[in-house]
Amino acid sequence: MKSFEYTITDPVGIHARPAGLLVKKIKEFAGSTVTIEKGDEAVNALKLMALMKMGIKQGDAITVKVEGGDEDAVAAAVEEFLKANL
Amino acid sequence: MALDYRKCAEEIYSHLGGKENIVSAAHCATRLRLVIADNSKLDIEALENVDGVKGLFDSNGQLQLIIGTGTVNKVYDEFLAVTGLTAATKADVKAAAASRMPLWKKILKTPGDVFVPILPAIVAAGLMMGLVEAIPKFWPAFGASDWYSFLDLVANTAFALLPVLVAISAARVFGGNIFLGAVIGLMMVHPALINAWTVGNYAAGTIPTWKLFFFNVQQVGYQGHVIPVILAVLLMSTVEKWLHKKVPEMIDLFVTPLCTVQITSFITFTIIGPIFSVLENWVLTGAKWLAGSLPGATVMGAIYPLTVVMGLHHMYNVIEAGMISQTGLNTWMPIASAANFAQFGACLAVALKVKNQKTKSVALPSSLSASLGITEPAIFGINFRFMKPFICGMIGGAVGSLFGALFKLGAPVYGVTGIPAIPAVNNVPLYLVELLISAGVAFALTSVIWKEDAPKEAAPAPVEEPEEAGPMPSVIRCAAGELLQPCKGIVIPQEEIPDDTFAEGILGQGIGIKPSEGIVYAPFDGMVTSVFDTKHAITLEKDGMEVLIHVGINTVNMNGEGFEAFVEDDTEVKAGQKLLRFDTDAIHKAGYDDTVVVLLTNSDDMEDVECGLKA
Repeated sequence: MKSFEYTITDPVGIHARPAGLLVKKIKEFAGSTVTIEKGDEAVNALKLMALMKMGIKQGDAITVKVEGGDEDAVAAAVEEFLKANL
Repeated sequence: MALDYRKCAEEIYSHLGGKENIVSAAHCATRLRLVIADNSKLDIEALENVDGVKGLFDSNGQLQLIIGTGTVNKVYDEFLAVTGLTAATKADVKAAAASRMPLWKKILKTPGDVFVPILPAIVAAGLMMGLVEAIPKFWPAFGASDWYSFLDLVANTAFALLPVLVAISAARVFGGNIFLGAVIGLMMVHPALINAWTVGNYAAGTIPTWKLFFFNVQQVGYQGHVIPVILAVLLMSTVEKWLHKKVPEMIDLFVTPLCTVQITSFITFTIIGPIFSVLENWVLTGAKWLAGSLPGATVMGAIYPLTVVMGLHHMYNVIEAGMISQTGLNTWMPIASAANFAQFGACLAVALKVKNQKTKSVALPSSLSASLGITEPAIFGINFRFMKPFICGMIGGAVGSLFGALFKLGAPVYGVTGIPAIPAVNNVPLYLVELLISAGVAFALTSVIWKEDAPKEAAPAPVEEPEEAGPMPSVIRCAAGELLQPCKGIVIPQEEIPDDTFAEGILGQGIGIKPSEGIVYAPFDGMVTSVFDTKHAITLEKDGMEVLIHVGINTVNMNGEGFEAFVEDDTEVKAGQKLLRFDTDAIHKAGYDDTVVVLLTNSDDMEDVECGLKA
């Protein structure tokens, strides 16, 4: 398993559209399971509703975990996406 | 037969391929949602055959077991206990939120949580009891009739044995077994115990006691009590849950209930009970002392309802009887009447002001019952729950009591308050004025101070607004069901939504609506899963359909300004029910588009999805 931390810089946080884009991105990596954690909460990053429900805001630190598939590459791609969009 | 939650949870667990294979567990309204590390380790067929599992499917890496509303949470609790996992999702967040709630708030919330489910039993009974017992005061012959004694029995059953209802409801609230809860409640009003209402008739020292270890336990019941019963059941539920964990499964069914009831009853009678009788004596002494002076009567009029909440008010007959034997005049009655009538006024104000039909239907009969002297439904069902009406009632009670004491009102009888006491008082016109003052002050204060739901910023201009949408056409259909148009206006195809993310279907298939009215209605009978903090979007769920309704484009930046939500997370809604209100002018002024986007966010998992109005 590969994991990394990221702090949200986007002023509105992981809201409907960014969440949708994130889910879309992660759908590209069918072989991996990506989990996003905030505090004690953890959701599968493919679950749009669950992701939005977490209400991740600017300044929140999240932990992204990648399991299965090419973990390093997927983690790097997700991190890059977060930096670019969130 | 009720489902054995623990057995169900254990069986599910046994087919999941070990604890290491479970990444996290959560539940929604109907389903146990598990994130599984390796699906090949699952025994799907065996899982489907577990008693209590109505179906299962695997969706986006989540194994979802359909268990059912009201049951899934119990199975989930047991599942956590069995697996030793910690609640990892929304349940956890909520629990954490609840534990962050200050202790005094949690304590104040509990009686309301316990009372709300039993309101059907006590609201009508309270009103009927008030009426039946009031009639003989005006028409004495009725009091001697068989009808009176029959109707009174029917009406007062729920009150005479109130601890049983309280105990059952409390057991549900605290997660204990409700039948064990019932046993605790029944025990506290066991016929072999002296009735708490009549214990005042026993001379000191003649009340039979048990000697248990070094405790001397008075054999007195808990009729009319609320708080000791809630405490006893809280203790019972705690003991029961602890024992469930410790006692081996083989003997659990026998040992756990036995020990739970034994331990709870012992502590109830030896510790909780005596603490309350000491409290009762203090209240009694204090009340007697207060009733003797003008400022005292004012204070008593204010705090009287608090003693009702504590279940200590049934002792007051002793004060009243004492007054009558000393001076022939019961001056306690005007205090109690003022306090009770003020609760009536406060409750009536809520009944008239509240928009929520359910609250209204409770508040109205409860207030009438309070005017007849039975205040429990009004206090527990309405006033204490919303707190502000309760406090307004206390103020009304204080003013009314002061008036009553000032004019030395009283009656040569005891045990009645409010309207039924009218024939007995020494000065009927002044007594009526007292009632009017008490209720009037409470009513006026409540009308001004209490507001439904969250306080709204600057009262919006009163616009005639429908409560429900009325018939709406269906706009999205799939194999699992259909969505009705959730907002009035012109339906546009998804591709025409002026935003790429929505238009391209990244968040799922759906439609747009150019709104003609700033209200979002529920598209089906289902569950609100989440209302965004900024109130511009809401997600709902029904039969596996996950829906996002998003008002406007980029309106997240408005930070809730111009938006109002009528529902909260995890509320069940009916099709056509109002969910959100938005101000289209404010959206335009802020420079955004007001298109309402309606999406089936999991349309990828759904079959036969069709969007748009039917041709």
